[in-house]
Amino acid sequence: MSRDRIGTSPNRVGGIGRVTGSQQYVADIKLPDALEVKLVTLDVARARILSIDSTAALAVPGVHAVLTAADLPQPVPRFGPQFIDRPVLADGETKYHGEPVAAVAAESKDAAEEAARLVKVAYEELTPIVTIADALAPGADLVQDPSIRPNDPLAGTNVLREHRFGWGDVDATPADVVVEGDYTFPMVTHFAIETHAYIAAPDGDGISVWSTIQHPNWLQRILAGVLGMPLAKVRVYAPDPGGGFGGKQHAKYEPLVAFLALRTGRPCRLVLTLEETFKAVRRTTTQVHVRTGVMSDGSLAFVEVDADYNIGAYADIADRVVAKGSYPAAGPYRIPAVRILSRSILTHTTPATAFRGFGNPQVNWAVESNLDAAARAIGMDRLEIRLKNVARTGDTLNPVDTRCDGEWDQSVRKAAEMIGWGSPLPPGRGRGIALGIKSGPTTGLSYSTVRLLSDGSVIVLAGTSDMGQGARTVFAQIAATELGVPLERIAVVMGDTSIVPYDQQTSASRSTVLMGNAVLSACRDVQAKLRAMAARVHGIHEASITAEGGVVRLPDRELSVLEVLKPGLGRMGGEVIGNGMARKDAEPDHPLSGSAAFFEFNCTAVEAEVDEETGDITIVKHVTVSDVGKALNPLQVRMQDEGAAIQGLGHTLMEHYIYDDRGRIRNLGAIDYRIPTSMDLPLHMESAIVENADGPGPYGAKGMSEGALLCVASAVGAAVRDATGADLRDLPLTPEVVWRALRERDRKNAEVTAR
Amino acid sequence: MYAFAYERPATLAEALALLEAHGPDARLLAGGTDLIIRLRDGSARPAVVIDVKRIPELCGGIREEDGRLVIGASTVMTDIAADARVRRRFTALAEAASVVGSVQIRNRATLAGNICNASPAADTATPLLVYDATVVAAGPGGLRRIPIDDFFVRSGVTTLAPGEIVTAVELPFPDGPIGAAHTRRTRRRGHDLASVTLSCAVDATGRTRIAYGSVGPRPVLVVDESGILADPVAPAEAKAAVLETVFAGASPSPRSMRASPEYRLAMLRVLGARAIATALDRMARG
Repeated sequence: MSRDRIGTSPNRVGGIGRVTGSQQYVADIKLPDALEVKLVTLDVARARILSIDSTAALAVPGVHAVLTAADLPQPVPRFGPQFIDRPVLADGETKYHGEPVAAVAAESKDAAEEAARLVKVAYEELTPIVTIADALAPGADLVQDPSIRPNDPLAGTNVLREHRFGWGDVDATPADVVVEGDYTFPMVTHFAIETHAYIAAPDGDGISVWSTIQHPNWLQRILAGVLGMPLAKVRVYAPDPGGGFGGKQHAKYEPLVAFLALRTGRPCRLVLTLEETFKAVRRTTTQVHVRTGVMSDGSLAFVEVDADYNIGAYADIADRVVAKGSYPAAGPYRIPAVRILSRSILTHTTPATAFRGFGNPQVNWAVESNLDAAARAIGMDRLEIRLKNVARTGDTLNPVDTRCDGEWDQSVRKAAEMIGWGSPLPPGRGRGIALGIKSGPTTGLSYSTVRLLSDGSVIVLAGTSDMGQGARTVFAQIAATELGVPLERIAVVMGDTSIVPYDQQTSASRSTVLMGNAVLSACRDVQAKLRAMAARVHGIHEASITAEGGVVRLPDRELSVLEVLKPGLGRMGGEVIGNGMARKDAEPDHPLSGSAAFFEFNCTAVEAEVDEETGDITIVKHVTVSDVGKALNPLQVRMQDEGAAIQGLGHTLMEHYIYDDRGRIRNLGAIDYRIPTSMDLPLHMESAIVENADGPGPYGAKGMSEGALLCVASAVGAAVRDATGADLRDLPLTPEVVWRALRERDRKNAEVTAR
Repeated sequence: MYAFAYERPATLAEALALLEAHGPDARLLAGGTDLIIRLRDGSARPAVVIDVKRIPELCGGIREEDGRLVIGASTVMTDIAADARVRRRFTALAEAASVVGSVQIRNRATLAGNICNASPAADTATPLLVYDATVVAAGPGGLRRIPIDDFFVRSGVTTLAPGEIVTAVELPFPDGPIGAAHTRRTRRRGHDLASVTLSCAVDATGRTRIAYGSVGPRPVLVVDESGILADPVAPAEAKAAVLETVFAGASPSPRSMRASPEYRLAMLRVLGARAIATALDRMARG
């Protein structure tokens, strides 16, 4: 049983089902009488809808409904986690390529697709705003109707929000050298292998909805609002998603499918194609200007960051991404003065949303690259400048926020050692090292119920979504540790809002800390009840009994849980129910409405070789070191770190949307949008962790799983720069981008020689 | 996917009759690795799909006949890449076949399908040009042999006449020792469509055959008789000068998403020099 306790790596709970295909994903769920749904979209980005004629579509055999905006309650219901801005169907105008203007429900997928093609939409194509420059141009059309945010002075612009953070006085802080630069981060999509899928079914006087959602309770609230139903009548089932990465956090087409189900009186099912997911979710893309002031001894004087994020047509959670991603932009360093201005900018592109790293990798690329430039400008080693400035435990980062909560220099030294920093390199190779920091959750609320059944087996109810990160396993391990039960006798129930208690969300690497603490406190509640039970059965005082790790200690002997449970429950059976909660309240005066529950800290170091003729990058070695507090399951920690590192290679080396001049995504789908394959991995990859049990989670754990993605691009770019001397500002570093940077380097060198 | 009729003729004659009956409304299905994508995205909407995988005349596999290697039309890439004769005598074709798509695609995709789809980026097109292959086509009027260089027109278009079906691709065994290589540029190391393809073969007479693709509407064959490219000790500058003329026929599209014309043209030169060096090395090793 000790093999199942925390700190060990038992087989993943649910892992066999996941790898053998027996796990039921939303797309696998077949309800009797379900209708298949197909979205009707236009092959344009922005268009004024003049009329929609469904006659031919309705004539296709098997078609039950063609839902248009006119069939919805008026005004067309809108929803969103932060702004109530996204209509259930395009309302008069499509705002991005792929925004649905109607939806068909039919007996078969073929019929739905055929009918969707036959819906005749008369429209007038309008010039879309695609880039940040387009959006900020004087007199630019407004992406959002200003009435959506009345009394907002920015409502007459395409800037949704401006965020200003910082401390000290940048202008009054002297620096020996100031280095500045512009950096861009590409538009990428999550590319979860399971595409988004939704089923809605009328359920008595309420509705049941199955979704690939990460936040079932938030979806329940959105649906209740849009449909005008009480929460108790909206049941959300959230089967374990096949990858989420932030793309499945918030409601997308669930309200639409719910309206179709209510209209047809039948279950309705929509499974998106990969191409449709490209049109539905993406990461915010960024242009960043950075100024770094540094003293000649290497100490940082100030950092100034201007970050413009292109968030697309509807806000989703993207403005929160902008605020929370740019807030720690200056990095894990002690800096006397910091000034950050970030802006959420609306465009006629795919609505951006959360993506692993939550806005931080975008600015990390800029700030860490610029720090390298500062080191070069003063002739200092790039590792040394980082070690000199990185905060030590208890140091102030942002004066109004959580102080440095880890021995971060340990991670940096470990990564430097693993990459062999400072040792000689063959010609054509270079090294890079980068540090990344991300604020953990700023608020949080998780409940858990742990049920100890009469045979000593345990049910853990936890509203986290296990989308591959292994939350089920970690919660089961906590229960195994606290109640002394092997994993085979523990069931973890998730993803049903009518059964599982409330959880705010599965995001910000929070679940091990927040839900973990809730499960832990529910287990402790069970232990307290076991003590009371033992006291009753044995007629002794409760205060003389302890219960931990599956052992109930009486003054004169030790009992197993079952030895207490059997006489305690008696012949009628029954169970012991423990409840737990973990809560982090909002702080109204804090710039993010809450300080960080913990920081995710990572150091990534890379050795790379560059083919000067083609621009090909070979990552010879990639090391990633995260400060995780305590690894509750070391193998899962490693899988999360290595997975994040590999995912980060996508936006670093190859991934990006390509738009045409009409705002349409040209590289929809897997053929021309490339993600790394096993053949694109570093020749050698190693991950390591630093554990000082200094986190706020169970047993000293911190959240992890985004950290190893934060500074992948920064470390790879630095290694390429080191190998070649080429100046790199724009991701992804495709062979052609690197090749152009090499030509530019040669041109500049030739100019210098000619002088 | 929308509804279409599906036919699986048992003989070549049946297949030809179906093609004649349905004309442009019919599409042939071999491996399906191009057609199925187009059926799914709606860019091809044939009334009839004719599955040719069960036609014995197309299923001959890889065989030797009269100094030629004959590859039956339904032979898949995996089998071509694994064939000892192809690997030894037509190395560039084996290399090309081994990089088409992914493992799963290579288990389905056929050589004949690859050339009939006539993508300018088709990997097997350039080695077939270098090896002077012949396409054997059956039609209402009987069999016809088409030199591979006369086969390609532009993307999706060949000189195959309406009603004709490719039954085999023939490769003449080279007279003497040659060295050959196939190279390509992709956006990643894992399976990808090529942004430049290039094959070459050098022989003992000093002749160099170079074919390149994905840089114009169809793959281009150039035969260099100067002897400079095939000369292991000729200076790099001299070879580069010859390659300039070799690549005069390249005209990459500025509309492609995969690489800019400037980069493709530059990479053509890099690939050309590297492939010739590999080919010379292979010839020297025998």
